[in-house]
This record gives sequence, structure tokens and C-alpha cells, in this order.
Amino acid sequence: MSRKILWSVVALIYAFMLAPILITAAVSFNAVERSYFPPRGFSLHWWSMAMTPQWTGPFLFSLKLAALSAVATAVLGLPLALALRWPSFRGRGTLQALTLGPLVLPSLVTGIALLQFLTLAGVGNWIGLPALVIGHVVICLPFMVRTLSISLDSIPINAEIAAASLGASRLRVLIEVTLPLARSGGGAGMIFAFISSFDDVNLALFVARPGQTPLTVQIMQFLEYGFSPTLAALSIISLLVPLALVALFGRLVGIGNFIYQDHGHA
Amino acid sequence: MPEAALELRGLTKHFGASVTVGPIDLIVRQGEFVTLLGPSGCGKTTTLNMIGGFVTPDAGGIHLAGSPVETLPPWRRDLGIVFQDYALFPHRTVAENIGFGLRMRRVGRAEIARRVYEAMQLVRLDGLGDRRPGQLSGGQRQRVALARALVIRPSLLLLDEPLSNLDLKLREEMRIEISTLQRRLGIAALFVTHDQEEALTMSDRIAVMRGGRIEQLGSAREIYEAPASAFVAGFIGSTNLIRGSVIAPRQPGGTVRVDTGAGPAMIPIVGDLPDGGAVLLMIRPERLKLASPGAAPEGTNAWSAQVVRTIYLGGRMEVRLRLRDGGTAIAYAVNEGETDWDEGEMVDAWFRPRDAWVIPGPAEDSDAQATNCLR
Amino acid sequence: MKPQGSAYLLAAFPAAFLLLFFALPILLLLSTSMLKSEDMVPIAQLTTANFSTLLTKKLYVDAILRTIGIGVAVGALVVVLGYPVAYTLVRTQSRWQPVLVALALSPLLASVIVRTYGWWVLLNHDGPINNFLLAMGVISAPLRMLPSTAVIIVGLAHALLPYGVLTIMAALNGVNPNLERAAMSLGAGRVRTFVSVTLPLTASGVIGGFLLAFGVAIGAYATPAILGGPGTQTMATLIYSFMMTLLDWSLGSAMGVILLASSFVVLALIMLAGRRSES
Repeated sequence: MSRKILWSVVALIYAFMLAPILITAAVSFNAVERSYFPPRGFSLHWWSMAMTPQWTGPFLFSLKLAALSAVATAVLGLPLALALRWPSFRGRGTLQALTLGPLVLPSLVTGIALLQFLTLAGVGNWIGLPALVIGHVVICLPFMVRTLSISLDSIPINAEIAAASLGASRLRVLIEVTLPLARSGGGAGMIFAFISSFDDVNLALFVARPGQTPLTVQIMQFLEYGFSPTLAALSIISLLVPLALVALFGRLVGIGNFIYQDHGHA
Repeated sequence: MPEAALELRGLTKHFGASVTVGPIDLIVRQGEFVTLLGPSGCGKTTTLNMIGGFVTPDAGGIHLAGSPVETLPPWRRDLGIVFQDYALFPHRTVAENIGFGLRMRRVGRAEIARRVYEAMQLVRLDGLGDRRPGQLSGGQRQRVALARALVIRPSLLLLDEPLSNLDLKLREEMRIEISTLQRRLGIAALFVTHDQEEALTMSDRIAVMRGGRIEQLGSAREIYEAPASAFVAGFIGSTNLIRGSVIAPRQPGGTVRVDTGAGPAMIPIVGDLPDGGAVLLMIRPERLKLASPGAAPEGTNAWSAQVVRTIYLGGRMEVRLRLRDGGTAIAYAVNEGETDWDEGEMVDAWFRPRDAWVIPGPAEDSDAQATNCLR
Repeated sequence: MKPQGSAYLLAAFPAAFLLLFFALPILLLLSTSMLKSEDMVPIAQLTTANFSTLLTKKLYVDAILRTIGIGVAVGALVVVLGYPVAYTLVRTQSRWQPVLVALALSPLLASVIVRTYGWWVLLNHDGPINNFLLAMGVISAPLRMLPSTAVIIVGLAHALLPYGVLTIMAALNGVNPNLERAAMSLGAGRVRTFVSVTLPLTASGVIGGFLLAFGVAIGAYATPAILGGPGTQTMATLIYSFMMTLLDWSLGSAMGVILLASSFVVLALIMLAGRRSES
């Protein structure tokens, strides 16, 4: 009996979680210029509107931004994770705090801080793509270091000692043993960074510039003038990218596990 | 006659189309200690879970102290359960753990304190009431789990491999301690284990399980000396199983003659043995004796055999033999400091008729190490 | 080379990056919040006027309190709705379990905008809910559900629910199912078993999920911007208008500092409460 009640409650919560996304998808097929649900008539008009340069430009820019951010996060995250493997050295605590700091701060605050800093430092022309990449790397580094550390921790330290005892140099050990084993964590971290960057609004609001605006910010600006089913189509398109990425790498559960362990330890 | 503490009637649970536990029929009398013994996956834990109310049976009945409980939820069954991993509440003290069941029964505060104190004395945990389970040793945790199950004075104590997480020495101590306690309190107990030694030392009766069913139910002696199947014979202790066939079912003196590849044997009649029927002859290694050729005592069965290896085991010698048909057998010889058998030497392996046991039916090749796997 | 040396060598570049683009900007933010602004750019003149403006003007105080209220409500909703889902996902033996887990986490992939837009469609003055109620004759004029604080709370709770499910699942995974069985065998019914065993042992996950949702909710811009209006300003929407519309960076920074401080205060309060209950 009580099991049935629990399952019905859970079914309702699932409906709550998924309904808005499904409704958005349905609205995009409306034949009239209103966000009706259920949709009136069927047309691909709004989808073709979403394919015009007004929207494909920001969409492609978002993809570029996300890819750059993911790569840059990995490039910075790997040496950081490797350094933090040393059990103790002077300044380790500071380094750790510096790495995890952006996790505690709302990304909106990081965004306005970056905006002021770049302007006052005289590199206001970095606002746009460079500033967006920098900001997203700052936001995603904690996750990258976490996921990398988790997979690096799973490497038996003996594997490295064994390789060293077989005559491999420090660099060879790194290339032949450590890095291949760190791949799963690095991959999860990169996918996470890509999706975070692609979906980010809070930071991008402040450091985008006309012509270098990600899709999310473009949508927010458009919303000031009203709603249109085009937005529904765009929302669905922007949902498909992360979905395709995750499906491609089959990592959804893997990423879930990493986030898991994250907060499990917190 | 008082009601049985536990009675299972045709208890059955299906897992998918191919795996079934049961039907199981079993009675645990008042004050009796019964063990479910079997390899992992034989259905003993499922049986326990059905009795506990954690798994719903597909068919059959469960009676506790005479009343049916199969439709009751776990919290109405009045059972004391000791779990394999003890399942002590980590956020509560030892005393709170032990008193949990009394609190759920709305026993008064003073009464709870008194009974918890008694229970802690009973299992020799005096003075540890304020500790948390995490601060206790394995043996102490085991005792808390036992006290928590006993303090509610359940109609039946269920023990699910409670000793398997302890080291050998502690395990041997706890065996004695648990069965002494159980006898002193006169509480009926159903014990689940895959360890034959535990089963032999602790139980009044043993139910050997295999493939979801009880293969044999009996006292330790019956199970060991008169196993119902090759599986039971092989699961408890080591044994020699030799294929043979019944030649003359009725001989003067109430014996039958069984021919084997190692030689003929005369053994007492048990049950109905058809002429020419295939059987397995079981001889426990400690009942198989050795003598110089021709020196076996009168009236015994003697087979010629060659010593292949002798292994010195302190109190006894294990002698491995090759029989006439090339099969092997093992004999334990008590180490009396006199006889010594050389490897390669020809001997007579002999046994008294009553020291052999006949298991009817053709031999299944898999029987000796049968492990029919279930969840 | 000493092992320490290689750690420094490895960390040098990323550490410099974080110092330059994270630590330094935050320090700058802290200091501009105490400076006077002229034409967008803060000038070197110390003042506490930014904070006193934000902490005395009713409009701003309301926004701050509203934001914190939203954060608390969202945190509570996320935990209350996330718990049954997490419990079911961890304890079920259904072979659909992996699919259900993926489904529960999949909203994480969608941008907050996607997750919020559906609510706007559902609740706007000529959305399906209003149309349904009108058709049924329950109401005679469309309900004005938007903009409102309540809908912002629902939208954010919806967007952040997967985090609650994740943290509580992690905590539940650490609870031995035999503990629940033990409690039941000792006479505790389902509710008592949950209250006296399962819930206390997963308190860390509940607190973690609450904190995470609270922290993200008070700093969220998109949902209050889409589902809210001029009467439902939050710290985030105010920061946006200070920075990008009014171009008063000092005021924006000060609000940013208040946002930071409120998340730290709640964090500290909860950690304190946790410590007290433990001792």
C-alpha cells in the first residue's frame, strides 16, 4: 500500500521535472504566432525561423566557446590535479582553496568581477570571446580537478612505482601510465565543461559583446521584447547539443557519478 | 503438544522463469536450534527473508507460534534477527541500539533501562552502553546485535550467517557462546550458514539445502553418517564415493552385496534396493582402515589398494590410495606412532559392513561438487 | 629534482591563471564595493554609501529579503521533492532503474532557459492552465500567475531538483538496507523506520542538497528574469540592471558582496547547527 503511494508521488515528481521541457518542445510546432499549448495546427515555421542567421550566428558562437572552454579547462586542470596529488607541500592548502573557490561563489559574482577587472586593467577589448573563455575556465576548473583527481586516485600508486622500477623516466611514467588512466576523469570533466559553458547565462551576461554573444544571452535579450515560439525551437535545439554529446560518449551516468562523489564528500 | 515455534508449509518464491526457491516444509520446535546449511545461492537467505517478511512468498504458509504471519509486515512478526553485517544503527549508542525494539513496543523507560542492562550482562558487554557501534570490535558488535535481538524476547531468533565476518578464533568462541545462550534462554533459533562445521557444532537439527529445496533434514549424526544424497555426503566432511551396483539384494544375515570396480562389498540392507540397481557406496575416510595384504580382520570388506601418497597431519595421517580400477580413495589413519605406510606399498583397505552407507540411484557426475546456483 | 619542486612547476601556470582571473578580480570587486562610482568607473574615494543605500532603501532591502526567501524555499522544495525520487531510485530493484536515473538527471543537460520557458508557456495569461480553468468555468478572467515570486520559486526548484536527487542519492547509497530491515524486525513500522533510521543517516545529503540549491538559487538570473517582473526583483536581476543598465559598478559590486555574504552566512549557520547536533 505505502509502496503504491510512494510510486505515485514519484511519478508526479517525474511529471513535474519533465513536463515543462516536453511542453516547450510541443509549443515549437505551433502554426500561430503565440506560444499555445497544446499547439494549434502544425508547422515548422518557427524551426525555420530558428535557422536564420540571427540565431545560427550565436548558436555557432556558443559551440565554439564551449569547445574552447572545454579544451582550455583540461589544459589547465591536468597540471593542477597532478600537483595536488603530492600529499603535502608548502602552499598546498592555498592552492586547493584557490582551485575550489569558484565553486562556492555564484558565477554571476565571478562575472561582474571579471568585467570590472578586465576593463580597469585596460584590456576591455577582451570582453567577448576571450573573456568568456577565461570566465568559463574559472567556473569549470573545480569540476575538472575533482573528476581528474578521482580517476588519478583510482590509479594504484604502485602502477607508477612499478613503471619507474622498470626503468621508465618520470616523463615516460607520466605519458605511458598516468595520463592514459586519467582519461576517463578528463573526458567527464571536459564534457561537463562543454555543457556548463554552452548552458551558462549568469557569467556570459556580463562579458559578452555584440557579435560575440552566446545563444543563451541572445535569448535572454530577445525575451525583453516578448516571447515567440521561435524561442521554444531554439530551446529544444540547445537541449539537443548536450544530449547528443552525452549520448555520443555514453557518459551521462559517469558524469552523474562524478557529481555524486563530489557532493558526497562535501 | 506445544505449538511449533516456526512452521513452514510449501513456502515458495520464484525468481524469473527458471529459478525457484521451495517448496520448503520445515518445523522448528520450541527451544530447538535448526540450521539451514548450503552453498551460497541455495536459497537459504531467501527463505530467511520470507520468514522475516522482507520477501513476499509466491505460495505457502509461515506460522510463528501457531499463528499465520505470511501476510503480516516485518514489524508485526515478533522476530529477533541477527544480520550478517550486524546492521547496528551507527548513529545510536550501544544501549540505544539494544533498547530500540523495546522503545518500539512502548515499554516504560525504567523497564527499558533494566532490560537493556540485563541483556548487556547476558552478552558480557557491561559498561559499554554509551559507546557507538563504530567504537567496538567485531566480536563486541556481534554481541550487541545478539542482545538487540534477544531483549525483545522474540518467539524465534533468526541468525543470518552472523559469524562469517569474524576471524577464526573468535568465530569458534562465538559458536559456543551463541548456542549456550540459546539453550539457557530456551529460545527457538533458525540459523543460516554455509559453514558445515558451524552447523555440526551448534545445531539440534540441520536442513541441508540445495537448488532452492531442503535435500535432507536430520540431526548432525544422521546427516553425516546417513546422507540422503551424494550432494549431502559431499557437502559435509570429506568422503569416498564409489560407484557400484547391487548384485544380490537379500543375503543371509540381512546384508546386500554391492559390486564396485574396487571389489565387492557386503553391507547391511537399507531400504529397498533393486537387483542390479546402480548405487554409490559411501565410506568416510576415518572408517576406512589399512592393513598389510591379507591381514584385514575376518568379516570385513577388504580391497587391495596401492598407497599413492601419505600426508602427515599431526594427529592423523591422510593416506591416498589407488584402488583396483584406478579410482582413488582417502583413508585417515590415527597417528599412534607405530604403523607407517610407504608410498607405492600394496595394502588391504578394509571397512566393517556397518561403516559403509549406500546411496541409491545412479551417480550424477556433478554430484560430488554440486553447487546449483541460485541467488 | 625534489618532489615538491615538480609540484610547484606543475601548479605554476594554472595557479597564476586563477590568481589573475579569479582572486584578483574578486579582491577588486570587494574594494570597488567601497568606492564611489562616476560614469560607470569607480574612483578612488572610499565610501560606505553603496552599502547603506542597498541596506536602507525599501526596494533593495525587499529584493535582498525576497532573494533569501526564494533561496530557502527553493532549497526546501528541492529536498522535499528530491527525497522520494532518490529513495525510490536507490531502493528499487526494477530493471528500469538506470533509465529512471538518467531521466531524473537529464534536465541537468538543459540550459536553465529551456527549463524555465516551459513554465512561462504553462502559466502565462493565455496558457493552458488559464484556458482550462476558463473553459471549465472555474474562473471568469485569466489568473495573473506571472510575474510572481511563487512562480520563480517553482521554476528554480524545478531547475535545481536534479541536484537534490543526486546529493540525497549519494547519502542513501551509504545507508545499509539491512539497517531498515533491522528496525522493522524490531517493531518499527515504515514511517518510524524512516524517521528514526533512514532520515538521520542521510541528514548530510539533505543539508548538502539544500545548500547547493540555496546557493545556486540566490545567484540565478535567468529564471527570475523570465518569470518575474519589476515587482519581483532579486539580487541577481538588480545586479544586472546596476551593471548593464544604470552602469553603476560600485553599487553592482556592493550588491555582489551582499550576495556573497548571504550565501556564506547560510553556509556557516548550517555548519554550526550540524556541529551542535553532533555533540
